[in-house]
Amino acid sequence: MVSPSSSPAQKYFSSFVRTLVRTLSSLKIAVIVIASLAILIAVGTFVEARYNSEIAQKLVYKTFWMYLVMGTLAVNLTAVMVSRWPWQKKHVPFILAHIGILVLLAGSLITYWWGLDGTLRIGIGEKNHFVTVPQTEVLVWSSFDGERYTQLFQREVDFFLDRPQNKSLEIPLPEGNLKITHFEPFTLVSRRIAASENQKMGSGLRFLVHNQRVNQSEWLLQKRPGENAQAALGLAKFNLGPPSAEILKKGSTENEIFIWPAPGDKFQYILYYRDPQRKPLKGFLTLGQGLKTGWMDLEFKVLMYFTHAEETQEFKPVDRPNPLTTSSIDFEFLGKKYSLQVNDVTKLFTDHAVYIFSYGQKRVDLDFDVVLKEFQMGRYQGTQRASSYQSQVIVPGLGEKTISMNEPLKHKGLTVYQASFQENEMGQPIASILSVNYDPGRWIKYLGSLILSLGVVWLFYNKRKESRNQAPKTEREVTDHE
Amino acid sequence: MNRIFWALIFSFGFLVSQKSFSAPLKALELLPVQDQGRIKPYDTFARESLELVYGKQNYQGKPATEIIMTWLLDPVSWQERKIVEIKHHLVKEGLKLDVLEKYFSVQEILSNDRISLLMQQLNQKREEKAKLDPYFQALQRLEQQIYVLRSLANGSLLRLVPPAPSENPGDSMSQTWKSVAEFSESEHKLFSEVTGVFLKYLSLQVSTTKKDPSEIKQLTQDVFTKVGAFSEYAKKQNPGLYPAATDIELEVHYNQFHPFRWAYIAYLLAFLAVVLSWIFKRSLFYQAAWVVSLVGFLMHIYGFCLRVYLTGRPPVSNMYETVVWVGFGAMVFSMIIELTYKWRFILMAGTAVAAFCLIVADTAPIILDPSLTPLEPVLRSNFWLMTHVLTITISYAAFFLAMACADIGLYFFIKDPQKYQPQIKAIVLSVYRAMQIGVGLLAPGIILGGIWADYSWGRFWGWDPKETWALIALLGYVAVLHGRVAGLLKDFGILVSGILTFSLVIMAWYGVNFILGAGLHSYGFGAGGVEYVASFVAIHILYVCYASVLYRDRKRSIQ
Repeated sequence: MVSPSSSPAQKYFSSFVRTLVRTLSSLKIAVIVIASLAILIAVGTFVEARYNSEIAQKLVYKTFWMYLVMGTLAVNLTAVMVSRWPWQKKHVPFILAHIGILVLLAGSLITYWWGLDGTLRIGIGEKNHFVTVPQTEVLVWSSFDGERYTQLFQREVDFFLDRPQNKSLEIPLPEGNLKITHFEPFTLVSRRIAASENQKMGSGLRFLVHNQRVNQSEWLLQKRPGENAQAALGLAKFNLGPPSAEILKKGSTENEIFIWPAPGDKFQYILYYRDPQRKPLKGFLTLGQGLKTGWMDLEFKVLMYFTHAEETQEFKPVDRPNPLTTSSIDFEFLGKKYSLQVNDVTKLFTDHAVYIFSYGQKRVDLDFDVVLKEFQMGRYQGTQRASSYQSQVIVPGLGEKTISMNEPLKHKGLTVYQASFQENEMGQPIASILSVNYDPGRWIKYLGSLILSLGVVWLFYNKRKESRNQAPKTEREVTDHE
Repeated sequence: MNRIFWALIFSFGFLVSQKSFSAPLKALELLPVQDQGRIKPYDTFARESLELVYGKQNYQGKPATEIIMTWLLDPVSWQERKIVEIKHHLVKEGLKLDVLEKYFSVQEILSNDRISLLMQQLNQKREEKAKLDPYFQALQRLEQQIYVLRSLANGSLLRLVPPAPSENPGDSMSQTWKSVAEFSESEHKLFSEVTGVFLKYLSLQVSTTKKDPSEIKQLTQDVFTKVGAFSEYAKKQNPGLYPAATDIELEVHYNQFHPFRWAYIAYLLAFLAVVLSWIFKRSLFYQAAWVVSLVGFLMHIYGFCLRVYLTGRPPVSNMYETVVWVGFGAMVFSMIIELTYKWRFILMAGTAVAAFCLIVADTAPIILDPSLTPLEPVLRSNFWLMTHVLTITISYAAFFLAMACADIGLYFFIKDPQKYQPQIKAIVLSVYRAMQIGVGLLAPGIILGGIWADYSWGRFWGWDPKETWALIALLGYVAVLHGRVAGLLKDFGILVSGILTFSLVIMAWYGVNFILGAGLHSYGFGAGGVEYVASFVAIHILYVCYASVLYRDRKRSIQ
């Protein structure tokens, strides 16, 4: 390769290159890279089993270590092909098998950099033109007149990796900084009712009904003071507040109790029966005192009472995610502390303005509306098990189209897939979940796959003769022994 | 040649004896039932129900068809019988039952005041949407067992009459068949004719007097006409929903003939014949082994044909089917390699793997569900889906074969590596070839999986645990192949890695579904059997350790 007339420096350089290529293309490095890749991604699957796929991506598959191993693999593969230069005919399957991997990796990288993989949720009969993507952002809008809002702040954040508890995020606002102080990856949000100082809040009462089989407690929470609150539990209705004048006069046609506070830490009640023959019960109760209702053999008790009660969300951190958990942040604004779950919005009122603060998944505008006209579901005969489902959508310029499992819709370079659906408690579908996807690396990946598969099969087919020569020459040698 | 012929007859003799056996209840077995989203013969319904409750398809020698019918007719007499299988010791402890017992009576369970507590636990776990660990899975089975027994007793489980044609044929609930509990008076009358002859059959069975063949013949005839009248009536209600008689007959034939069982019996015989050919050095045994293997192989294919016909899909949609498919693949590859080299032990390894797979599939019905269940939506009718699963799982067959060959190779290493040099060389080559076949199928298989994922939900690769573990297994074998080229692995190394690397396949194949239990491939998920799989792996690791220690000592002593 090196001409005799070349200078010593050139000679030195070319021998250096040759040594470098030989080292980088070494099979030992290959084996080490393959083994470390296997170990690394195996760890990833255990992370996914313990947490979820998103966290496995963040902790393993999209980390420096992964890129390091993949990078070394690419260098190793390139070097091994350079080392075979000049290529001959017998090298073809070998080159194909290895170049295929490089092409495949390149395609994946392109998808990762320039691709889009988002979710489009559309309620039945509704429309949507925003695709949500996994990345999260914080947004602040403000208004001084309560009508026109202007965006004050927007930033993409990854609180899972850059925890605000280590370095809080300060958002400068005209009336003071909004400071995000804490991120909790797995939070259970529950409803909680507590006494309130706020005079504008109505009262709240917690009661219990029980007999041998039933044991149920429930809150009655007034929206405003003096406005009755009602709950219906199976066979009876429960009201916090006195009955209306009309009911007082005519009575009720249902099993119904009205209860309201009376002087001396007591509660006054009137209890009606569905059976018009039975006389209503009237009287007073103290906290915790049992009342035989005469509805089946149910006993009624007041467990708790607040003159002013307020419903708040309670955030409880847990160790591991499950389908009910979500992530949440804590933040401070003008000396007060707040909590907010992901994909939620809160309004912050000050003396001069109102701010809207949101934290959640980024949304990408499709620039066209997708209308979900109908969602159809097939079920296996005589069961509630889904056998197939599909969305009937209307897209501007395309008209009505059907998107079903394995039958995506292609439009403006995007591919829209039927991913899943949401149901209500009755098992009726209420929304369709579509996955929207733009993949510029697709054909490169397919090309790489083809080259790789061809190479591997060809390579091993060619090894036939080679292996035959290594083997014992005759069957007799193997089958006859001793 | 004589003996080969004899072997042939021997296998077919089994078949003929099976064929000629026909019970008086034959007509009842064929009665169509709607259950779990499909129409099946009563035979299948009874087998599956008893399997769920008792863990077996017969109870004290009595077939499921009889047990289930008597349960329906007279549940009270069953209250005291030990028929509910509970395996998990924590469930037994939770119910304060004897931990050493395996079967319990309905009485014991339903009158237990702790049962509602346990079911509350289960419901709470479900509400939390938490993953169910083996304890809760066992509770879930108990819940199903109770459900089946109760609804069987009140007649709501056995659905026999299709509804009249509805105006809204797309609605699945309008396709719900009428159960015994919902029968009209005339329907009850028709059905009681059926149960009447059934009871006659039972009384004939218990009678101690010598059975009169004409009486049995008469009874068979009676069952035929009564059941015939009933199904005639049922069909008339909605002929469009009633299944074709041939399909039902074929399914009963599949249940009763059980081709996979014949396949593994043949494989075991073939395995034995190869061993004998080693011991006695008679090529006659070797030829016999080939013939019996082929018979088994045909049975295997026949079983697949039946299954594919009955389900209308390729046979790789759950763990059970993949195990049977891997056994099939192992046979295919071993016969190909054996034909090229004629070294005998490849056929030996192949029949061993195939028999092992089929026996495992046949003996663990709770873990590997053999029923013909309808598919989840994503799995329905998709070319790419089926090709990727078929390709990946058949590559596992090649790796399994490599492992079995490596097992034999290590045996020669343990005995005497010098003396058995040619055998070892041949085995190492077979292991190497089998690994190459495996890699040559697994790599394209994983890519096909990517194409399917891309086609179905627009994601070529998503680090889903099932696909990731398939990739890990591939990387493992690729590392071994490169290690061989690099000279890192010599003969002994290839054998050892042929055994150890298969652990990765076990993880990808079984472990992801049964141990990790995460990811998109959750439609194949199940529970149980971890202890057996773990001991399978552990025994192989011990075997490798033992061989390695011997190998090292020998090397030292030579130096």
